[in-house]
Amino acid sequence: MSESKEPDAGDRGLEEQLVSYLDGELDADESSRVEQAMAADPGVRQELRQLEHCWHLLDELPRTEVDESFARSTVEMIAVKAEEDLETRQAELPRRRRRAWLVAGGSIAAAALVGYFAVSGLSNRTNDELLRDLPVIENLEQYRQVDDIEFLRKLKDRGFLDAEGDHDR
Amino acid sequence: MDAARGFATASSSPDDRIEGARLVVSESSAQRYELRDPDVRLMLEVRADSATAFEELMLRYQNRLVMVLEHLVGARDQAEDLAQEVFLRVYRSRKRYVPGSKFSTWLFTIANNVAANARRSRSRRREINLATSDSGAQSAGSLDQLAQAASGLMPTRQLDKAEMRDIVRMAIESLNERQRMAVLLSKFENMSYADIAETMDMSPEAIKSLLSRARVNLKEVLQPYLERGDRPTTD
Repeated sequence: MSESKEPDAGDRGLEEQLVSYLDGELDADESSRVEQAMAADPGVRQELRQLEHCWHLLDELPRTEVDESFARSTVEMIAVKAEEDLETRQAELPRRRRRAWLVAGGSIAAAALVGYFAVSGLSNRTNDELLRDLPVIENLEQYRQVDDIEFLRKLKDRGFLDAEGDHDR
Repeated sequence: MDAARGFATASSSPDDRIEGARLVVSESSAQRYELRDPDVRLMLEVRADSATAFEELMLRYQNRLVMVLEHLVGARDQAEDLAQEVFLRVYRSRKRYVPGSKFSTWLFTIANNVAANARRSRSRRREINLATSDSGAQSAGSLDQLAQAASGLMPTRQLDKAEMRDIVRMAIESLNERQRMAVLLSKFENMSYADIAETMDMSPEAIKSLLSRARVNLKEVLQPYLERGDRPTTD
């Protein structure tokens, strides 16, 4: 094949059409064009004959006949493999179940931790607020007895309230 | 065939990508193939765990499959091993099977895949074993020897059957792997370009071109023998 000249695009197009014609893959119009080309050119006819003849030579190849043991050994091999597949899956089952339990346990633990931190964060905030308001809470009764808020501010500015709170504590 | 009746019902293996691709098929097209192709109906019985149907399919296809594989890999033993691998894949992917083409197209798609894998692993082994001589060169050499024998010693003799078989076999071997597969499916499975395209994951146009080149290559190898051996063309 290496000795033959490289076919140009036109040759290749003709070869493709001839082979497709032989294979019955052309529609009516294309087939008619190939037949016209054959009628007009003996070279095309010869090419087609040679392609067809060489194709028929493939019928010389012997037909393969496997012996009876082939089917039996194939079925046995498949039965063994199927059995192995089943055993593998069954062997993997406890491992898979254990993995599922681990995943479920881990998820629960993670959810519990998230819950704990969320709740403890909230309660810390409440405690902080209580601690900040402690001086007021301690003296709430006295503050209620004073009607004028300006008077209270003056007491605070002069440090009476701080001193009193510190003193009480 | 008692073993067939004793099939375990393990579910399919995840590594069969091509077989799994059949899942993407419309219901109407699945029904069409089921009605038209008796082998599709058998495969659907295999899907329902019928060992008898599997055995029947195997008996229908084993010779055809081994023949194609033998021409693809060049060795009968290996072809039988690969055919068993193909049937194993069919069995393992049965639960995922949805008819999206003719059964033969599906089967030979798997065969093409299995043969390609075998060739890849063989070429990897060949890379490792640098001392091994190239089998393609041997094949070309023996073809040349046969050409010399045919042309030099007996220029006008009739080629006998056995010799013709050898020449045809070597002509097939001279094709590249894709051309060879396309020729085998076209010649021995009578597949249309569309079916070959599906089997080889190519377009019908590419198959048209591939088969054309393959048949011209076959002619270029075979024609000199025909001209020298039997009756010279007078056209």
